[in-house]
Amino acid sequence: MEAPSLLEDIRFGYGPLAGRTPGQGGIDPDRVLAQLAAPDASAATWDRPPLAKRWNLIEIYAQDRKAGLLRQGAKEADPRSRKLIQIEEEDAQSFISRPAVAQCGFRERLVNFWANRITVAASGQILRHLIQSYRDEAIRPHVTGRLTEMLKATLWHPAMQTYLTQTQSVGPNSKLGKRQGKGLNENLAREFLELHTMGSGYSQEDVTELARLLAGMKNDAEGPRVEDNRAEPGRKTILGTSYDPGRDEIDRLVETVARRPETARATAFFMARHFIADAPPEDLVATMAQAYLDHDTDLTALYRAMLTHKSARSRERQKLRTPHELVVASLRLTGLTGLETGLRGFRKEGMKLIDRLKIMGQPVYLPARPDGWPEVSEAWLTPPMVSARVDWSIDLGRAVGERADPVAMADFALGDLASPILRRAVAGAEQRWEGVTVLLSSPDFSRR
Amino acid sequence: MTDLLLSRRAFLIGCSVAASPLVTPVSFASASGENRLVVIVLRGAMDGLDVVRPVGDTAFAGLRPTLSANPGPALNDFFTLHPAAESLMPLWKSGELGFAHAVATPYRQGRSHFIGQDALENGTDQTDGTMTSAHDGWLNRAIGLMKDATPETGVSVGQQRLLVLEGDAPSDHWFPVEESQLSGQGAELIAALNAADPLFAEPFAEAQRLADTSDGMTGGVPRGKMQYAQLGTYVAQRLMGPSRIASFSLGGWDMHRDQVRSMAGQLKGLSDAILAMKEGLGRAWGTTLVIGITEFGRTARENGTGGTDHGTGGLAVLAGGALKGGHVYGKWPGLGESDLFENRDLLPTADVRAFPAWALRSMFGLEAAGLEATVFPGLDLGSDPGFLL
Repeated sequence: MEAPSLLEDIRFGYGPLAGRTPGQGGIDPDRVLAQLAAPDASAATWDRPPLAKRWNLIEIYAQDRKAGLLRQGAKEADPRSRKLIQIEEEDAQSFISRPAVAQCGFRERLVNFWANRITVAASGQILRHLIQSYRDEAIRPHVTGRLTEMLKATLWHPAMQTYLTQTQSVGPNSKLGKRQGKGLNENLAREFLELHTMGSGYSQEDVTELARLLAGMKNDAEGPRVEDNRAEPGRKTILGTSYDPGRDEIDRLVETVARRPETARATAFFMARHFIADAPPEDLVATMAQAYLDHDTDLTALYRAMLTHKSARSRERQKLRTPHELVVASLRLTGLTGLETGLRGFRKEGMKLIDRLKIMGQPVYLPARPDGWPEVSEAWLTPPMVSARVDWSIDLGRAVGERADPVAMADFALGDLASPILRRAVAGAEQRWEGVTVLLSSPDFSRR
Repeated sequence: MTDLLLSRRAFLIGCSVAASPLVTPVSFASASGENRLVVIVLRGAMDGLDVVRPVGDTAFAGLRPTLSANPGPALNDFFTLHPAAESLMPLWKSGELGFAHAVATPYRQGRSHFIGQDALENGTDQTDGTMTSAHDGWLNRAIGLMKDATPETGVSVGQQRLLVLEGDAPSDHWFPVEESQLSGQGAELIAALNAADPLFAEPFAEAQRLADTSDGMTGGVPRGKMQYAQLGTYVAQRLMGPSRIASFSLGGWDMHRDQVRSMAGQLKGLSDAILAMKEGLGRAWGTTLVIGITEFGRTARENGTGGTDHGTGGLAVLAGGALKGGHVYGKWPGLGESDLFENRDLLPTADVRAFPAWALRSMFGLEAAGLEATVFPGLDLGSDPGFLL
């Protein structure tokens, strides 16, 4: 695979990877999209076990937890529980290390973009077990396919069902509803329309009807289905179309909603806002939305429309790297994977990057709200967050900067995109490590 | 942003405050006095029936056989306090601790944490939790009504901003950072680069000012999870500076199972935070009110897994020297079968928003009209519950 240009790597990836010579030129849509077809052996070293291989461990873990065997380092616990703990620690590490070593930065960026657009947070015990599978099995396989398929996968994934409390929803006229007096939980129905798809153009009545259609959804080790005793009987009318109870009908609803112009527009807007500018140009959003509709919700068409627009080629970098993106870009630039131990100034056991992201305001897999991490720059620039970015640059600069050439590093990181003031500052630092810190903490390096 | 600092300094060296062009005229709604308000957002739906237990209600023990097993200190002849909060009993006895029971936000449809917390922080009166159109926080709107408020009047403590303080009125945001190991020259280079970038200039300058004025608070602070007592200390330190309104959140109240164990840890933490604020504020504690509010209460009955599920009527925690404490405020609805809301939850008998509203009225002089229209739309302030000295 041809190496991306510097601008491609910065805007559509996680920045240049140490030791890899960047390609020439600005933005070549074909070259960026070729990343999505290419294998990525480095990233694949961070492939995580699928949920099918975890259910058994999760069950044992739950038993051990109930029996109080997980306290004090889980020494008394079943080896399989300890195995799960280890797997989940590696899951969190993979959030940082996978993009840090990846050759195809665009694919990793897309996975994180979509996982944020259709958010699940690992809040609580059950979700901690499910989050990695959500990313790997509901999001990742679909980033080059049709949004319709991703929406089906995310809506049905047990992590989403738990996160947006669909598992508690009971049709009021279902067997269980009548017997126990239970009722609907509109959470998932509402967020599906509000956050995952249309964003506008539907009514409260549509939400309620959708909640009635979704009642009884279930997905666990036995697979996706609609449970008869919780399903709300009768037809539902959503956005003017009628649906009967059942799994196929839910999928038909997803297809209809995915093809709505409101969904096209909201999706295009979010993607343009993520990659191009906090306030993306109107014609960019309109072009992307049209390409999405013209190609039956195909995401590659959406990406191509974005990549060929003139704003994608702009040398002005309007977006800000999130704390996660900044840490990953710093690791790529300094040739680290995130697993190194014994680095100067860090704890003996390693860089503790999971704790670090928490300090920087972006705890791993834990966005505070169902609309995900903020996608606008100013949300990441509160005074404490700015301090935490500088702290990170100081620690990493001290660890790797002793023998570094900060000027060459700035060239490699930014090429001719570096501002003259940055070049002077990096060259003018008293010590090599401080030069690296000045580079890593600079607004130039934080922009993409 | 520096108005208050400068004016205080001017005052200290003997200048006339009134003559300073930096001091805005005193208005009725005032953020510049000695009164301080702390709003703790207790995320996850705190079980009010477990924290302040209505043991005098004949139905209570039957509803909660497991959870009522370990008795705590008596508050009066009807309520007892959870044993893990025993360290707060001296405050109760000195009138610096109180509660409002059977209170709730207007949100009634769904018992969703997300919607419930948004409703709690936004201050909406919509029963389905729909936020007011600006999607901002009630504390922010309240600060917006204080004519002499500065961007430092309100501060959220912790890593992320809190919705309750978000909105048009600028507010501060703070959490401890470590001391820098940079040389002076390195620090200057970084400052120059940040100052040259329109996005970074302002927050960087503010971060620097915080680091410079933090009086050693940046040194020796352990990284990682902030301990509750430490959190209380930081809040107190901010309130001893120019801030008058602070907010932070404590998560972890969602106890669907094994509540005996988890509630003990949570209440210990909350008690530690309150006691640390009292200590840190010193004499200023006398004019401070702490309000702990939560998105909703929990089911009256304990569930099958030693916990409780999402409910409705809940509890507000009140503390501080400004409080007329030693009292459980509110009208008790009863726990009998027919008393419960939807046959499962404690029935709310008061709008929890009335408590912060009355606090804003008597501590910061906000007018009733502004409170009922802007800060808490649709709120009926009603008669003064008289919980403040």
